[in-house]
Amino acid sequence: MEPDSKRRKTTEPDGTCAWEVRPVLSEQESREVRLMPVYAAPVLDKKETCRLMKEVSAVYPLSDYPHLKRIRACLSASSPHPLEMILCLAGLNGEQAGLRTLAELFPNGEVDLSGLGKPFLVHVPACTPLTRPQYEEAASHWPVSFHENKRISQALKGCLFSPLEKERMQGYMELAIQAAQRGARQGMVPVGATVVDPATGRVLAVGHDCREGSNPLLHAAMVCVDLVAHSHGGGAYSFQDYPACTFLPADNTSQPPPPLEDGLPYICTGYDMYLTREPCTMCAMALVHSRIQRVFYGAPSSHGALGTTHHIHSRKDLNHRYEVFQGILEDQCQRLARLSDHKESS
Amino acid sequence: MEAAKRWRVSAGETEAWMDRAVNMAKDALENGEVPVGCLMVYNNEIVGKGRNEVNQTKNATRHAEMVAIDQVLDWCQQHKKQPVEVFTHTVLYVTVEPCIMCAAALRMMKIPLVVYGCQNERFGGCGSVLNISSATLTDTGEPFQCITGYRSEEAVEMLKTFYRQENPNAPKSKVRKKEFSK
Repeated sequence: MEPDSKRRKTTEPDGTCAWEVRPVLSEQESREVRLMPVYAAPVLDKKETCRLMKEVSAVYPLSDYPHLKRIRACLSASSPHPLEMILCLAGLNGEQAGLRTLAELFPNGEVDLSGLGKPFLVHVPACTPLTRPQYEEAASHWPVSFHENKRISQALKGCLFSPLEKERMQGYMELAIQAAQRGARQGMVPVGATVVDPATGRVLAVGHDCREGSNPLLHAAMVCVDLVAHSHGGGAYSFQDYPACTFLPADNTSQPPPPLEDGLPYICTGYDMYLTREPCTMCAMALVHSRIQRVFYGAPSSHGALGTTHHIHSRKDLNHRYEVFQGILEDQCQRLARLSDHKESS
Repeated sequence: MEAAKRWRVSAGETEAWMDRAVNMAKDALENGEVPVGCLMVYNNEIVGKGRNEVNQTKNATRHAEMVAIDQVLDWCQQHKKQPVEVFTHTVLYVTVEPCIMCAAALRMMKIPLVVYGCQNERFGGCGSVLNISSATLTDTGEPFQCITGYRSEEAVEMLKTFYRQENPNAPKSKVRKKEFSK
């Protein structure tokens, strides 16, 4: 139970962590590259490229697909022609895209077709790549433009957080795990949560799932949102029967109290939540309402709404978005999650 | 879904309950809360009612539906009834479409039928943003049926009034915040 023994278990002798922080990206960022068919044709006479580009683009602008480069160079030595050019979309209306002749694709004679070879079908990326993995996948089909988001790339490479930050994150997750274990000893589903103000490093609340008590909606995240409300002089529930659910009273600090206009009642503004398990839809949306800044969870959950069934944290049509990372102390959290799945189904 | 189909409510009944829900919403508006009011009716009896009390509790999850669910749980305890038995036979009357959070909560409580006034374009969980009410998810409660449109104009009007006067408790813009935090 002691944090010391736990640290030995999860930290390698050289001080590196035995777990990784992985970003949970939005639906658009994490989806597979979708392909669509287009007609392309080889450019047989390289000198005609510039003119062909201009004339073909005037007839088929492809303005909804600005990421697609019109021309690709065929680097392969075995390739009979050096360049290939996208002519137009194929089968947009859902009809079976068959082969077409140049005359069929440009029936009105707007394009001087000299220098173009026989059209062929090729599948190209349908959407702008948002992440480097998506870009690499997309570019393997056809050249695309890509504006790299450095922060996302760093996050995906696992170098967004320093070893010191990771050590702190481990400490916060250990508090959540301990709360989960203490809750479990009172018959609760073993899920725990910690709320931290990253600006000061202070732990504002630690709680565990209380759904087996009088209220089936008191999931760990809901408990912690209310504990934070208590720490700001509000709150709706009493947690006196659950000694592992604690909060930092506002008057007990050396820090000046947050200014009144600073987000009340959206009191989780700027805060981080550590959860042993991916939260459900209700909890994920509660964190949108509470304006949480970041959520770190240990293990995914089959009905989780931060990456598994929904991406509640990254929807453009909701009025708040937050960052989500998973994998902190994943092994330990996974063990707790297996216990809780068992408990919920029993 | 079968349970939902059994829960039919007459138009007269609906008018009467929605009238009370609208009054709850008015009360919220007068108290500086987002004007949403609701009732939970079991066997023709109000077993829970709620209005938004986010500002009062400093807890952004205290929507009218969540407040009412807590009251029904209390009622069950007082009347020595199993919550599952009561909730699966309870109709919720609410002035505004439940948000994604509340829709998920109502699923977990297994409420079969929700009668609501206007759509919730910002957060709605019964079709406007997500369709939590009718989604087929095996491990998170039961889908519920929705009847909509009762007193919707009044519900919208109250929301407009609220947002016109601006929520004094909403987070200030970042620029403002900096001025205050020396």
